[in-house]
Amino acid sequence: MATVLDHPAPTAASVVDASGGTRGGGSRLLRFALANVRRRPERFVLSTAGIALAVMAVIVVRTIAAGYATVGSDSLSEVLGSDPVWVVGAEGVRFDPDLDVLLPNGSTPALTVPEGWTAHRQAVGVWAAPGGDVALVGRDDVAPGAAVVSPAAADLLGVAPGARLRVGAADLTVATGGTGTSVTVPVDVARTVVGDRGWWTVTPSAADTGRRDLGALLSRASGIPSTTDASRTPSGRPLAYDTVGGGTSLATFQQAYSAIFASKVTSSTLGLVSVVGLVLGFVIAVSSFLAAVQERRREFGIMSSIGLADEVLYFFLVESALVFVAAYAAGALAALAATTLVVPDVTTLAGWAQAAGIVAAYLPAMAIVGALVPVHRLLQQRPVDLLRDDA
Amino acid sequence: MTGPLSPALRKGLAYGWLSTRRRAGQLVLPVVTTATGAFLLVQVLTLTDSVRRQSAALGDTEQLVRATTLIAVVVLLVGVVEMAVSTTRTVVHRTREIGVLGATGVPRGPVVGALLVEPLVAAVAGAAAGGVVAVVGTGAANLAGLVSADVRPGPALAALALAVGTSAVAALVTSAGPAYRAASRPPALSLTSGG
Repeated sequence: MATVLDHPAPTAASVVDASGGTRGGGSRLLRFALANVRRRPERFVLSTAGIALAVMAVIVVRTIAAGYATVGSDSLSEVLGSDPVWVVGAEGVRFDPDLDVLLPNGSTPALTVPEGWTAHRQAVGVWAAPGGDVALVGRDDVAPGAAVVSPAAADLLGVAPGARLRVGAADLTVATGGTGTSVTVPVDVARTVVGDRGWWTVTPSAADTGRRDLGALLSRASGIPSTTDASRTPSGRPLAYDTVGGGTSLATFQQAYSAIFASKVTSSTLGLVSVVGLVLGFVIAVSSFLAAVQERRREFGIMSSIGLADEVLYFFLVESALVFVAAYAAGALAALAATTLVVPDVTTLAGWAQAAGIVAAYLPAMAIVGALVPVHRLLQQRPVDLLRDDA
Repeated sequence: MTGPLSPALRKGLAYGWLSTRRRAGQLVLPVVTTATGAFLLVQVLTLTDSVRRQSAALGDTEQLVRATTLIAVVVLLVGVVEMAVSTTRTVVHRTREIGVLGATGVPRGPVVGALLVEPLVAAVAGAAAGGVVAVVGTGAANLAGLVSADVRPGPALAALALAVGTSAVAALVTSAGPAYRAASRPPALSLTSGG
């Protein structure tokens, strides 16, 4: 073939070496694959670009999902602190995307806790502050006279640490801390602004700490149903979330809770479109390998006729691996650039790395299947048919 | 292209059109992948309101709407890349034919033009088909009450034009390399090789 004259490919003898397991067999396979890439550089570039774009689409979506998972996880940590049980009212809770915090939909339920346990009331609601809406959280672990203001809320309210902040009738001293756009104050101060809205967190007695049936114990004392399922919402009655029970599950309650946030992204239009992109990328890989098989029928016919049918598969696996590794590297870097430019607020390096890791997990399967389909078609035919001139 | 086309280029394009019709069967896969990408892009752009609502539920509405559009464009490009892969297949299949054109004195320009007709026609046909199905499908789903989308003719046409334009430009850009390389080979080399 004329193109072979331009870039001589390794000979069948080197192939025998490679398959015979002699020293440097792997590197010979790689050289053979690289020689074939040089024979059709544009096809290598195109199929790599197609798969890279598909990889990029999926990593972008996963990075955004990871960003929201972190938001969900942080907002839950903020609510729970070190308490293992969270009791919410019958109306449930919602995540406010503007303030980046969890808010109750209704009033704090009545709660009776077992002997020796402590219930901490949190009064939570939206406070129409002079600079704009902020989440006002009342907790009993905030020192009297203090207001813990998150950085976003401090910007909005124009206050610095040490400044005075008036919440309702109280005059408080500002300290910074917390997530979202929130101001955390003593619970009685918050109740003067948000009224009855809020929830409870519960600390078990020292004797019960570490038990995995805290939800059940609380249910017995309070009559409030409990669950270890993060995705369950109250149905007409208050609900107690037991965040340490459900020991059979591999994921912690917090992971399950943040997964609900992530799945909102992956199941949205964004997620669905990216999955179609990945399927199209795979179609490109298979179609490009099929074209390569068609062009090299005679070459493979010669190899099959001298008993090197298996090696044909190795060649394609190495070539496929080359294409997918190059596409993955390019796609992952393009995704980092795209998320940093388009969705800077939800992009974190950790989220991107996690997303890239997830995609890396299923690329090998795609690379192997992508190489197997065309080779299978090839090996279905007798060597003599592959060698025919009109093939 | 500006100015009147030279007679040689016109003939090249006409030859490209004839061979595109002859090889229509080979173009099914790239047309389908481009149509899928165009379908998604047009759908995302015509369903902007519902994408916006979905994004608002997550927060950062503007950024998420931008991300959704970006991903839809990327998927359209993935579909179009298949078109370019198909062009590399075409030029290999037609190596001798290209050699004959070169040997009979046809200059490089018309040969490249002839080779680019196929990806261009396939990209435009695929993107238009996918886009029209998206607009009609969304409109029908809206009438049937399956989705609450306000399908307005203006934005729908703009989305269709964007899908077709992006596909056509991407198909030409990505196919130009393989076509130019094939047309630049010495005719003797093309005539003695396979295909």
